[in-house]
Amino acid sequence: MYLEPMRRRRPPSDDTSVAARLAVLAAAAVLLFAVLLFRLWFLQILSGDRYADQADEQRLRTVAISAPRGVVYDRDGEPLVVNRAGLSVGILPMDLRSPEVVVPRLAEVLGMPEAEIWEKLEKGKADPYRVTVIQADVPENPIVSYLKEHGLEFPGVRIEKSYLRSYPRNAFATHILGYVGEVSYEDLEKEQFRTLGPGAMVGKDGVEAVYDSKLRGEDGTRTVEVDASGRPKRMVQEIQPQPGSNLVLTIDSELQDVAERAVVEGIERAHEEGFPDAAGGAIVALDPRTGEVLAMASYPDYDLTSWVGGMKTDIYRELTSPEGNNPFFDRAIKGLYPAASTFKPFVAAAALRNDLIDWTTVYNDPGSFRIGEQRWKCWKDDGHGDVNLVEALMVSCDTYFYNIGAIFYDMKGPILQDGLEAFGFGRASGIDLPGEASGRVPDKDWKRLTGKSEEARLWKPGDDVNLSIGQGDLLVTPLQLAVASAAIANGGDVLVPRVVRQITDGSGNVIKDFETEVRGRVDLNPEELDAIRRGLRLVVSEPNGTGYGAFRGFPIAVAGKTGTAEKKPDDDYAWFMGYAPASAPEILVVAIIEKGGHGSSVAAPVVRRVLDEYFNTDSAGPTQVEVTE
Amino acid sequence: MSVLQRGTDRPSAGFSMGRYLANIDWVLLITTLTLVGFGMAMIYSATHADKNISSPTQYVRDQALGLVVGLLVLVVVSLVDFSWFVGLKRYLYWGNVALLVLTLLVGAERMGARRWIATPLFDVQTSELGKLLVVLALAAFLAEGVELRGSLRFLLKTVAYVALPALLVFLQPDLGTALVFAAVLGVMLLVWGIKWTHAALLGGGALLATTLVLRVLPQTFGIALLKPYQLQRLTVFLNPDQDTSGAAYQLSQSKIAVASGMFSGKGFMDGTQTHLNFLPAHHTDFIFSVVSEEFGFVGSAILLVLFLVLLWRGIRIAAASKTLHGTLIASGVVAILLFQVFVNVGMTLGIMPITGIPLPFVSFGSSSLVVFLTAVGLLQSVHVHSRTALYGGRLRGDQHGPMAA
Repeated sequence: MYLEPMRRRRPPSDDTSVAARLAVLAAAAVLLFAVLLFRLWFLQILSGDRYADQADEQRLRTVAISAPRGVVYDRDGEPLVVNRAGLSVGILPMDLRSPEVVVPRLAEVLGMPEAEIWEKLEKGKADPYRVTVIQADVPENPIVSYLKEHGLEFPGVRIEKSYLRSYPRNAFATHILGYVGEVSYEDLEKEQFRTLGPGAMVGKDGVEAVYDSKLRGEDGTRTVEVDASGRPKRMVQEIQPQPGSNLVLTIDSELQDVAERAVVEGIERAHEEGFPDAAGGAIVALDPRTGEVLAMASYPDYDLTSWVGGMKTDIYRELTSPEGNNPFFDRAIKGLYPAASTFKPFVAAAALRNDLIDWTTVYNDPGSFRIGEQRWKCWKDDGHGDVNLVEALMVSCDTYFYNIGAIFYDMKGPILQDGLEAFGFGRASGIDLPGEASGRVPDKDWKRLTGKSEEARLWKPGDDVNLSIGQGDLLVTPLQLAVASAAIANGGDVLVPRVVRQITDGSGNVIKDFETEVRGRVDLNPEELDAIRRGLRLVVSEPNGTGYGAFRGFPIAVAGKTGTAEKKPDDDYAWFMGYAPASAPEILVVAIIEKGGHGSSVAAPVVRRVLDEYFNTDSAGPTQVEVTE
Repeated sequence: MSVLQRGTDRPSAGFSMGRYLANIDWVLLITTLTLVGFGMAMIYSATHADKNISSPTQYVRDQALGLVVGLLVLVVVSLVDFSWFVGLKRYLYWGNVALLVLTLLVGAERMGARRWIATPLFDVQTSELGKLLVVLALAAFLAEGVELRGSLRFLLKTVAYVALPALLVFLQPDLGTALVFAAVLGVMLLVWGIKWTHAALLGGGALLATTLVLRVLPQTFGIALLKPYQLQRLTVFLNPDQDTSGAAYQLSQSKIAVASGMFSGKGFMDGTQTHLNFLPAHHTDFIFSVVSEEFGFVGSAILLVLFLVLLWRGIRIAAASKTLHGTLIASGVVAILLFQVFVNVGMTLGIMPITGIPLPFVSFGSSSLVVFLTAVGLLQSVHVHSRTALYGGRLRGDQHGPMAA
C-alpha cells in the first residue's frame, strides 16, 4: 500500500491524516475478507464431506423395485400360488409436506381410518427415504387415477407397482400354502430379515413362511436424481431384482381337493348320525414310502385371498369369532387329540419288541378289565371272549390292551413310552411347516412334574392301562399318527414328512431336490410286523372288523384302524387310519372328525373317499355304515 | 488554497487520447472485466437449463447488454473530470431524491416491492443508481464542509443529508440498499476526517437505532418498522435451526452448495445444488454459492482475491487523489463494493443476514452491472484527472506520483 503511517494527530495535515484513515479502511477490508476466507475454509475444507453427503441425500432417491415372489406349484405343475401385478399407495415421508392436510384427504380417498395412516407413518418415519406402504392393493379406477390426476394435492404420496399373491383355487390347501404379509417390526430385528425394510412382504405361515428366503428373491433398486420439487431428472443406477425361486409341492391338487371335501362330508355325516357339535376335522394323506404329503387339510379353512392387500377388519372379526371355529388353526399338524384305538398297533409293537407277548398270546375279554377294585370297560359290553393279538386289533378289543398296559406297569420304567417315542410320538415330526405341535406321551416324570396334587403326581397302573388304548394323558397330532402308521406300513422307517418336493428357478431348472429322510427305525422282526399288519388288514376285510362296513365293496385291499377318542365333556372324536394296497402300501390316510362320534361310521368313509380318488376306483361308498367301535 | 480550488484546477494541456489511455488504471479495468466474465460464465451455468427461458443464453445475453451499456458509461464517466460534480451537487442530490420519490409513486411493483421504474427500453432500479448519486453528492457536500470537521451540527446535517434518500429506499422496501447508504456514509465520514468522539457517538446512535427497530419498538410498542419477512431474513442466520421458513431453507441450501464444493468444486455446470434448483436465486443473490459449488475453495478464493484487487485499486486511487473530493468519491465507491461483497458473500456462507444485496459485477442484473461499471468509471475519472490536474502534460509512469512511495 502506498500509505504512510499516521505520525501526528494534531493538527491534522490533510495528506497524512487521509492516508491514515484510508489505511484503517484497507485494514478493515482485509479483515473482512479474512473472515470470509476463514468461513469458506471452515465450510469447504473442514465440513465439506458432511455437506456433500447432505447434498447427495437430498438429490438422490433410491426406490426398491420389488422382486416377484416365487410361484408355488403342486406336484404335477399346477400353479397354486401365483403373482399378479397390483398398485400400492405409499408415502415417502421426506416428501410429505403439510401432513395434517394430506393424511385426512388420503384417508378419505382410500376409505380407511385416518388413525391407521398416522400409525403407519409413525412406524415408517425411522427411514424417511423409504416409501411406507399405506394400502397394498388399490384399484386403478377410481382411486389410483384420482390420486394421479390430483398429484399436486398429495405431495409425498407415491403409487408403486407391486406384486400381489393370487390363489387360483381360492380356499385351497390354505394351511399348507400360508400367506404373506408386511414384515413386522419385531421380525426386522431378526437375522433372516436383516436386509429388509418396513413394508416388505414376507411369508407368514405355511410354506410361504418356511421357504420365505427362497421365495422372496432379492429386490432391485433404482436410484434417480431429483430436483428440489422432487421431480426425477435422470437415472443414476439401476439394479435389477432377482425373482424368487419356485416351489414344487408334494401335494396332488386333485387328491387335496377330494380330501378337503371328504372332511366336510365327514362332518355332515356326523351331523346325520346325531353328533351336531361336529364342526372341525383334519386329514393327512402321505406316501408311506417317502414321507411325501399328498394331501393335507384342516377344516375349517378360509380363502387366502383375504390376506391380499391387508386383511379387512370385518373379515378378520368374522374369521376369529367363536362361530368361525378358528380357521387359522392347522388341525393336521397342531391339533392335539387322544389317539384312542388307532394307537393300539404301536402299543402292540412295543409289547412285541420287548417280548412281553407274541402274537399268539391270548387274553380273555369278559367285557371289562380289573385291577383290584378298579375296572375298565371294553367298548363292547359283552366282551370279545378269547382273542389273540391279530384278532384284538381286528375287533379293537380294549381288554386285550388293558392286559398289556398292566404288564408294562408291572415292569416299571418307561418301556412303553420308549416304544411309542420310537414311532415319533411326543415330538414334532419335522415337517417343513411352521408351528407343528409335539404332542405328549405321558410318563412317570411328566406326571411328577405337572401333577396338580400329591395324588396326581403318582404314576399308577391306570396310567399305563389308559395309555395302552390311546387314552389318558396321551396327545397326538393327525400328522404324527400318519407318520407312525407309515412306519408300520413301510416296514419300520420313521420318515420325516415333507410338503415340498423341489425348489426350481424361473426356467424350471431344479435347484434342490428333497430326498426321503429317515429319522428313525422301529425294529420289528418280520413275524411281528406281519402280525400287526394282518390285524390291520382284517379290520377292513373281515365282517367282524371295525372298518369293514365303511370299505365294503372297495376293490383295493385296504388295511386300517378305527378310533373313537373320548374327550369329555365333548362328544367322541372319530378317527380312522388306513393304507393301501395292504400288501405294498402307496398311500396312507389319517382322518379325524372333531366331536364326530364313531371312527367306523364317520371317519372311515372319509378315508375311503380319498383312497377312492387316489386309486381312481370310483367305488360308491356305502351311504350308511354300521357303527362298531 | 482550499481543497476545492485545487480540485477545480484545469489541465494545462488539452485532451489527448494517448495521455488518457496512459493514465487509465488498467489493473482496475482488467480485474473488473475478469469479474464480469466470471459472473457471466456462472450465470450461464446457473440458467442455461432453465425451462422458462427461450434460449440457454438468454440471461447471459441480457447481462452482456448491461456490460456493453455499462462500458460505454464507464468510458464517458472516466473522460469527465470528477471535479465537475461539485457544481452539480445540488442537482445530483435532488435528482436522486426525485427519482426515488418517483419510484415510490409510479414504480413497477414486483414481489411486493416498488424498486423499478419501467422505461420503454429497460427497467431501471433507481436505488442502484441512487448509491452512486449519494456518493457523488456526499463527496461534494463533505469536501465543501472540510473546515467544519469539528462541528457536531454539520455532522448531524450530513447524517440527515444521507438519511433522506436512504429512508426513501427503505420504504420501497429495500433494506439492503438502505444499509449500503449507511455504509457509504460511515466510510466517507471516516476518510473525510470525522472526529473520533463523533464517530463513537454515531456508532452508538446506530446501535441504539438498530436495537429500537429490532427489539424495543416491535416488542414493547408493537410498532414494526420492518416487515416480518425482513426481520426473519435478518435474524435467521443467527439461529438457523429454529426456523423452518423459506429463509432458513435458502440459507441451509446455500451452505450445502458452498460446502459440498469442497476444495476444487464439482466442476463447471456440474453443481447439483444449482442445477436441481435446491439453491434459490442462484443466478442473482446466491451466485457466489454457485461459484463455490462448482469451483470449490480454489474458485471462491480466486473470486475474493479479484475483489480484493479491486478494493486495493480503489483505495490506492483514493490515496493518490490530490483533492479530498476525489479521495471521497473513490472511498465512497470502495465502501459500496466492500459492503456489498462482504454482506452478499457472508450471506451465502451463513454469517450475514439475508438482505437481497447482489454481488457486484457477478450477480445477474443489468441495473446493478451498469451502476458498478459506472462506479469503476468514477474511479478511473479520479485516477486520470487527479494526475492530469496536478501534473498536466506529464505521462503516467512518473516516479514521483502523489503519495507514492
